[in-house]
Amino acid sequence: MNNNVLLPLGPKLSQQLLLSVAEQIKLPLIQISRQAELGSMGLSSDFSQIRTIAENGLKLLDSYSLGLQLANMHSYELAPEAVSVSSVLYEADQQLRALARLYNVNIKLNISGRYEPVMAHRQGLQSAIIGLASALIEALPSQTKDEQTTLQLATHRCRYGIVAGVYANVPNLSNDTLKRGRKLYGVSRQPLVNVSHTSAAGIFVADAIFRAMNLKLHVSRHHRLYGLGVVLQPSTQLAMV
Amino acid sequence: MPKLKKILLIEPDKLLGDILLCAFKEAGFDLTYATNAQDGVSLADEIMPDLVILELQLISHSGIEFMYEFRSYPDWENTPLIIYSSVPPAEFNLSQDCMLEKLNVSKYLYKPSTSITELIRASRELLNSANIKQSKKSHAGA
Repeated sequence: MNNNVLLPLGPKLSQQLLLSVAEQIKLPLIQISRQAELGSMGLSSDFSQIRTIAENGLKLLDSYSLGLQLANMHSYELAPEAVSVSSVLYEADQQLRALARLYNVNIKLNISGRYEPVMAHRQGLQSAIIGLASALIEALPSQTKDEQTTLQLATHRCRYGIVAGVYANVPNLSNDTLKRGRKLYGVSRQPLVNVSHTSAAGIFVADAIFRAMNLKLHVSRHHRLYGLGVVLQPSTQLAMV
Repeated sequence: MPKLKKILLIEPDKLLGDILLCAFKEAGFDLTYATNAQDGVSLADEIMPDLVILELQLISHSGIEFMYEFRSYPDWENTPLIIYSSVPPAEFNLSQDCMLEKLNVSKYLYKPSTSITELIRASRELLNSANIKQSKKSHAGA
């Protein structure tokens, strides 16, 4: 086993990320514990809800490990492949449906544009998108008076490449907020205080994954919605074919 | 039939809010919940709660800001208030006096280690003692 597994992210950063994940993972554990207590009080305990909550917590832990693994790889080991962003978003949508239903969030998939494949680490991209979306799903009901809110998983073209991102009605999300959050995560309990009531670890784990892939998470806007996205480069290899 | 005691819960997580709503209804309370501080103040104005249960980690305005706002109204100066938060109480060691005296916090319960049963018990005890104080006051007035 490699003893230096945490070093490429920097010891301080990986410790911050760990603290952020530890703080975040409290929420699903409390939810499961309270659901179980409802059952023991003779009230109906929703087992499918417990399962969804547990699976979401496990996904965050998996993404965290993946982020550390990717950060430890040399660029030649990353083995990016030609990936269809639409298929990654479709898969993420399928994995997020159950969680979104619990929070009364409607997920909309906006992958109608026909874009060329991009060069990326498929698993990393998918984990990061799921992390971003989960963090927003948990925070959305607290930000709006609407009974049901919408989260959009979208891909679109920008002048720098093809964007893959998650978008919702979160006007408090700005580049400054994200910049401040990057300095505060692992130190503050709520690094994105205007966006999430939790440590928003999903967002910072995604940020670490993107960084390991030499990509940068940005705040972006799409169809009058605010969100977080990453710009990906089209695969020139396939364009030649 | 006696009037149900009204509890205002301010809990940003929808799932936990739903779980507590279900448990408190079963225990015979009329619980209403808001997911942020602003809605909390509006709801308090609407339902005039007998007790408030509050998480400190909220989006935008924190639970502390809510308390300052809430306590600034004479009607709610003495309404019992329980902090039920994921923030460990040890983090407030230095500001304990302010919490207890200025903001009149009745109880601080650490969410990860406080079960629903314990929260319901604490709420019941506070409502009962508030009732006793109220009836003593009205007797003295008479």
